[in-house]
Amino acid sequence: MTTLWRKAIRDFWQERARTTLVVLAIALGISAFAAVLSSYAILTRELDRGYLETNPASAVLRVDSIDNELVKAILQNPEVSDAEPRRTISGQIKAGPVQWRNLILFVVEDYGNIRVSKLVPESGAWPPATGEILIERDAFQVAKINVGDAVTVKTANGVETPLVISGSVHDVGQAQARMENIVYGYINLATLVQLGEEPHFDQLNILVAQNRFDEDHIRRVASDVEKLIEGRGHDVRRVEIPRPGKHPHSDLTGILLLAMSSFGLFVLVLSGILVINLLTAMMASQVRQIGVMKAIGGTRRQVARIYFSQALFLGIAAVIVSIPLGILGSRALCQYMAMFLNFDINSFAVPIWVYLLVALIGVIAPLLAAAYPVWRGTSTPVRVALADFGLSQTNFGAGAFDRALTRIGGTFSLIAFAIRNSFRRRARLVLTLLTLAAGGLFFLSALNVRASMVNTLDRMFAARKFDLSVSFAKPYEFEKIQKAVSNTAGVKRAEGWFTGEGSVGERRFNVVALPADTQLLDFNIIEGRKLTPQDTDAIVINNSLAGREPTMRVGETVALRIGAEEKAWRVVGIAREAFAPSPVGYIPLTGMVNSLRLALDNADPDAIGALKTELDRNLEAEGIRARGSSTKSENRFGFDQHMVMIYMFLIVMSAIVGGVGGLGLMTTMSLNVLERRREMGVMRALGATPRIVWLMIVAEGVVIGVLSWAIAALLAWPVSKAIGDSLVGVMFHSRLDFTFEPLGLVIWMLVSIGLSAVASFLPAWKASRVTVREALAYE
Amino acid sequence: MISLNQVSKTYETPAGKFAALKDIDLEIRPGEFVGVVGKSGSGKSTLLNMVAGIDRPSSGSVAVAGTEIHALSENKLAAWRGRNVGFVFQFFQLLPTLTAAENVMLPMDFSKTIPLRERRKRAVELLDLVAVKSHADKLPATLSGGEQQRVAIARALANEPPLVLADEPTGNLDSVTATEILDLFRNMANRGITVVIATHEADIARVIDRKIEISDGKIHPQITQTI
Repeated sequence: MTTLWRKAIRDFWQERARTTLVVLAIALGISAFAAVLSSYAILTRELDRGYLETNPASAVLRVDSIDNELVKAILQNPEVSDAEPRRTISGQIKAGPVQWRNLILFVVEDYGNIRVSKLVPESGAWPPATGEILIERDAFQVAKINVGDAVTVKTANGVETPLVISGSVHDVGQAQARMENIVYGYINLATLVQLGEEPHFDQLNILVAQNRFDEDHIRRVASDVEKLIEGRGHDVRRVEIPRPGKHPHSDLTGILLLAMSSFGLFVLVLSGILVINLLTAMMASQVRQIGVMKAIGGTRRQVARIYFSQALFLGIAAVIVSIPLGILGSRALCQYMAMFLNFDINSFAVPIWVYLLVALIGVIAPLLAAAYPVWRGTSTPVRVALADFGLSQTNFGAGAFDRALTRIGGTFSLIAFAIRNSFRRRARLVLTLLTLAAGGLFFLSALNVRASMVNTLDRMFAARKFDLSVSFAKPYEFEKIQKAVSNTAGVKRAEGWFTGEGSVGERRFNVVALPADTQLLDFNIIEGRKLTPQDTDAIVINNSLAGREPTMRVGETVALRIGAEEKAWRVVGIAREAFAPSPVGYIPLTGMVNSLRLALDNADPDAIGALKTELDRNLEAEGIRARGSSTKSENRFGFDQHMVMIYMFLIVMSAIVGGVGGLGLMTTMSLNVLERRREMGVMRALGATPRIVWLMIVAEGVVIGVLSWAIAALLAWPVSKAIGDSLVGVMFHSRLDFTFEPLGLVIWMLVSIGLSAVASFLPAWKASRVTVREALAYE
Repeated sequence: MISLNQVSKTYETPAGKFAALKDIDLEIRPGEFVGVVGKSGSGKSTLLNMVAGIDRPSSGSVAVAGTEIHALSENKLAAWRGRNVGFVFQFFQLLPTLTAAENVMLPMDFSKTIPLRERRKRAVELLDLVAVKSHADKLPATLSGGEQQRVAIARALANEPPLVLADEPTGNLDSVTATEILDLFRNMANRGITVVIATHEADIARVIDRKIEISDGKIHPQITQTI
């Protein structure tokens, strides 16, 4: 090892406290980046692997009924490698006195021979015997039940049947029960008969023989199968083709994690700023040494190499620290996401490219950050460098800004002195402020985005004036329903709606027919008008439908097909529905209704539960079968779950960025103190007590903290709006009704003052302990 | 060995132009031990810097050991200096985080004239020559001023330069140590190395071959003499 390397290492060792701070800051950035990047690699791999292991259906056909003959005929097609019938039926479930929960029942012909869209038994019985039901593992929490419990299940026919929960299964391809607030149950055909249903299948899961991941190919095969089924006199209601080989949440997870990675990179850039500060200060303190080295024959390149190798050490040290940290972080993140998405991770193995990329970025980032300070520091001519008088030479007082600063406070005071001091190293101040302000921005954004999400949801749910909605198995006259409602106490207002599907051309969307003068839905009209009682052919569409169908403009007439009937409808208005990604058209109600919307006197869960029980009884007395029901709070729950994820993400980010900012301020303050040791000696010699020196430096740190707060506060509005809109855009294809959380400003003010006081505490304490003699002798 | 031809140097200062050297003509022969004597601010350091290629003349030419150094780039100058000039400073200027031996090895690492494996051996020999061999592995801060200057002299000799320049090498030392250090320079000159020392002290006359007196940027013709 040549003396050049030794010098690089020993100079760093001499600066070990500051070096450690900077390594920590870089490590924090790389760890965050590594954690998210490896999670991305692990999750996308495991999610799709777990999904593929279930042998997911290439296409799902909904048919009126399926028998063995039909399945055999379909399997004649060489393009179809497998076809398996199922039955999906919605109903309700309850355990003991607990109220009814929405249930989706899956009926499987032979649990011993599931070949397509496999289920994984988790615990208890397999297969379920007659009179038994298996529950999806994520749905136990929804239904508040356990294996072994006796439950009551009913379908739209209203027959209440007692069943026993005999086990738990994992249904990988299913959306999480908790998010959907739905219970998934699995029974056999005989149990279906017990429930009073016809023992037939209505869903066909098919698997294509070749090109399993070619969506167009699957579409062609499914279309052939559809023709075959229809040729045999059956009715195909719908053909669903999921994205081949991709878990339904694979894309969303990937996008979210990639968004997080970019934040990791951002943190890395911030820690690079620390490297700039540290090396700029080191170069300044070594001007004379650089001069000496050049005088005894060192070329600029040779001298620069010493300092670049120091930046290299920083990067290598940070990478060594952060790879294990990042792996740990990615485990935690993966486990959280796996729980959230209801799937299992078989292997946490991180692909080699992640390590390489992280190491490469971790090593290169500090080198890039070092480039300017090192190149500049080594450019000083030898004569000037040799004549350098040390560190305390700054040009404070030269510019108009400095003179303006001297007017702050008028007469001398500690604060005025602290303000002027904090402005002495202008470039360093700016860089420090940047990192601190970034932490503040994330924090304020987290609070603002959360407040905006709550605001948006509040407005969305405020527009829905009904507390309870009940859906029926078939359409009824509203008068009949109203009779049952009027016998139920606690109903403020009831409206009957009809919900169905319509289509313009090939593309379907939901159609809701409701009283034109509805009191239970407040349209947030952004263009045109809402429905009026005079309307007969008017349709109001939501922004999602308007976005999807450019032909449906206000004033235009469109040919809309509802059921079998196609007629011309006039688009009269567009209503904004935040977070409602599904396209909906609203038309005036003319005939029968298949759902009931109720505004209640008392909307707390217990009261609703009691009312539902009574309403169910009264409806049955009129011969009406309710198929399912949902309350406003249940609907909101799912949204809140998604929001919590965004919010947590932003809070964690602000903690990391704030941490880097704190380390940055600590480095800055210790450099400021180091460079002013002689000045402090002078102050001490003039009679300043150690306490005053200490206070002065902490005050300087706090001034920086307050300045960073001001920058964050100024930028918080536009930045939080942009972050909120882009995150919500990715997850819901929607925008936020933005609102500013003023409390955030107060909290961050306290945090930044606290953070800067803590960060300057140690340097201040060290400075106050220096004796006058030491300080004056320091060069 | 050294040839200065009509060398002038003017600095721009906030107080106006300042002429540090005015039309200097000077020849120094190989192996000559020259003392440049003058008061503080007389221009003797500037003269030394010109010869070392640390500073460039505003006009005129500087040739050292056959090289027109005023024409070289900064980087070429540094490499040239490493091989041809040993420099000794008033404040020793040892690098604080390198040991005595490592300070001596540093110019060898820069110039790469001596094979890697022999550098340490040579450094210790040089330290032995200036009588601080026992301090080879100590850091500069633990050495006395005289010891530090001895290490600095060893460092100046690292690449066997034909020319050693010293700017006030005894300015920070007591008189006994100063005498010892001057004797080291005398020994160097005796071995054929050209030595130029800038100093404001008069008692240098004892060791040097020739005294050049400089004031206000000009060489005093009468006092330039061979002793």
